[in-house]
Amino acid sequence: MAEDDVHVEQNNARQMGNQESRREFLKQALKVGGVVGIATVIGGPVGAVKALASTETKQNATDGSATNWEGWEDPQLNVNDGWNNWDKILNPDNLPIYHDHFDEIKKVKPKHHWVMVIDLRKCVGCQSCTVACKSENNIPIGYYRTWVDVAEIGSTLQTSLGNTVTANGTYEQQIKIRNIPKLCNHCDNPPCVTVCPVKATFKRADGPVLVDPRLCIGCGTCVNACPYDARYINPISHTADKCTLCVERIDEGLLPACVTTCVGRARIFGDLNDPTSEVSKLLASNPVQVRKPEMGTDPQVFYIGLNGEISTENDPEAENLIYTYTMNTNSTAYQQLAGKSLLK
Amino acid sequence: MGLEQVYWTLPIVAYPFISGLIAGSFIVGSLSKIFGQKQYEPLAKLSLLVTLAFILFAPVGPLADSRQPSRWWELYTRAHIPEAPMGLFTIIWTTYVIVVIAEIYLAFRAPLHQLSEVTPGWKGRLYHWLTLGSTGMSEMRLRREHKWLVILAGFGIFLAFAFHGYIGFIFGAIKARPLWHNALMMPMFITSAILSGIALMIIVYSIVFRYFSFHRKVDSALVDGLMKIMIWVLLVDLFLDVVDILNSAPVAYTDQATASGFAEIFLHGPLTGAYWIGQLGLLVVALTLALFRGIRTSPLWASVASFAALISIWFMRYNTVIGGQLQPKVSQGVVLYSPALFGRGSMQIVFGLFMFILFVFSLLLMVFPWDDEATKHRLFHSTQLTNHGEQNRSTNKILEH
Repeated sequence: MAEDDVHVEQNNARQMGNQESRREFLKQALKVGGVVGIATVIGGPVGAVKALASTETKQNATDGSATNWEGWEDPQLNVNDGWNNWDKILNPDNLPIYHDHFDEIKKVKPKHHWVMVIDLRKCVGCQSCTVACKSENNIPIGYYRTWVDVAEIGSTLQTSLGNTVTANGTYEQQIKIRNIPKLCNHCDNPPCVTVCPVKATFKRADGPVLVDPRLCIGCGTCVNACPYDARYINPISHTADKCTLCVERIDEGLLPACVTTCVGRARIFGDLNDPTSEVSKLLASNPVQVRKPEMGTDPQVFYIGLNGEISTENDPEAENLIYTYTMNTNSTAYQQLAGKSLLK
Repeated sequence: MGLEQVYWTLPIVAYPFISGLIAGSFIVGSLSKIFGQKQYEPLAKLSLLVTLAFILFAPVGPLADSRQPSRWWELYTRAHIPEAPMGLFTIIWTTYVIVVIAEIYLAFRAPLHQLSEVTPGWKGRLYHWLTLGSTGMSEMRLRREHKWLVILAGFGIFLAFAFHGYIGFIFGAIKARPLWHNALMMPMFITSAILSGIALMIIVYSIVFRYFSFHRKVDSALVDGLMKIMIWVLLVDLFLDVVDILNSAPVAYTDQATASGFAEIFLHGPLTGAYWIGQLGLLVVALTLALFRGIRTSPLWASVASFAALISIWFMRYNTVIGGQLQPKVSQGVVLYSPALFGRGSMQIVFGLFMFILFVFSLLLMVFPWDDEATKHRLFHSTQLTNHGEQNRSTNKILEH
């Protein structure tokens, strides 16, 4: 019993001591809480306003990778001129758009079905389309909406009857160079559109697969989901970006920039719904191929002369991508290509 | 097109890791309620707090990796369900947060109310505030609360599977990446989630009960039991890994893209060590350690084995997320990647993320009466001080309940 009393007294004494330290703690907690509270009161609305204004894409300064890019921030190009007015750019006629259920598109009987045919027999690999696209669409440095991969197939054989004679022997060069223009395939069954969690990207009824940069959260799922690596994260807008088939041009009755500029007329653009169009005739009279048909994406960019010689296998014996914009310098292929010693 | 590169970086590695810990710890916490394993009762409240601390930060990984995180609300206003895996994940996460908070309220309301009556000052008011002013302590009310607790725990286990299965599906649904496009993704992620959750709970239980509980004592029988469950989950995880290797490594059994990708990245490539030593080796180490009874019953060594399992799971996430992206889609060779130390998608972000979780977990430990013994003791002493023997008896009854 006496022990219990002592215990109680000790407890009381401890509680008195605790009261002191608690008061101190409470004071400090109130101070910290006040600071946090004020920060929240000020920071909340600021953050909300900033978030609401995020379509203005003022983040240029934060990203050092692309500082020299005129465009959406150019004061000369304001909304009244149609610049940055994405409703007008992406879908001026308010065509039906699709985030999934792409098979429904045929049912609405769209007026046009835009496709591109690329005749590889005529491509000389001049990269004019790459330049025209970058110029037309203001693509940041290091990113491309279309590009031409140049691959070397075959090998140099040492034979007695070769036409290349050197001091070391006679060789015959059995080498072909293949130029393959690549761009977004504007698939009829696009996996990149289906995976978007916020329905920022869509397929328009007449064909183009587009991204609304006002909605995109930049999660990168579509970039990973595209089997053709046709998408990228735009370092200026911090949203997913891709080939639009120059939608603002085709809506005005013009051809896409890459098609206009093609010197060999290897790129042909047109309406598949019109049986008299050049693309319809080409598709009717030529065997055509698409890239990665096994993906089941139903690409709408058709190739004439893509006969399966080109693959992405990393086998220098079979082929070599001797010129490409896609290869990261920080990759094993680049190190093989340049030779590790050259890189140092 | 940008250069072939790793688009999803370290925060996306942390994302399934953290989510796995949530799913696993929740299931461990439900062992006593759903599966009737009464010996795991001391874990129930603790694991709820672990689950809450981690679940609050589960979406921080992908948000830190996305370029426009301030537009997060589009995930709700323009949710693309059920087509987009990430869209459905948002809904599952939101439901899960609500369920976990409801569980915590139901599990802690009674002790919080009792403590609020005997605790003076701001702490008592905080307790009262946390009960949302609900003071009912009748037998029927408590029984009804327990019933709802069990129902919610059952629903929570379903959600845990959906939650982590869907993270597997975020990768499994992407056919452009041959190493991701794998039907095994979902079961592999679920199994490793449960494994990592058990391992985490073993470590958390050992540390928290050894240093912060009332008796400062770890029940080695409980650790032994958890380790025994872990052995079985480890075996399933290893089995799935073997099936995965058989599915993707031999050229004869799989398509060219998968086989060459697996060979170039995991057989003789940049992630060979991370796969064979980090992911599989540590799993085998954990399994071997767990087979010894002496290790199973020693909290320290059980924690070491669990830590090996946790590191192995981290490597599994790394190999899946980063490894899948090292294979180029249109170019040649293998993309090389080494995580940045500072800045976007760096180790700094992941470190900060885990520190945030630790901070919130410590805060929760301080506020919520997770230790039944300590609560009993405090109530006992305060009732002795105020001579309310009757209340004391009812207190004990409630805590036993």
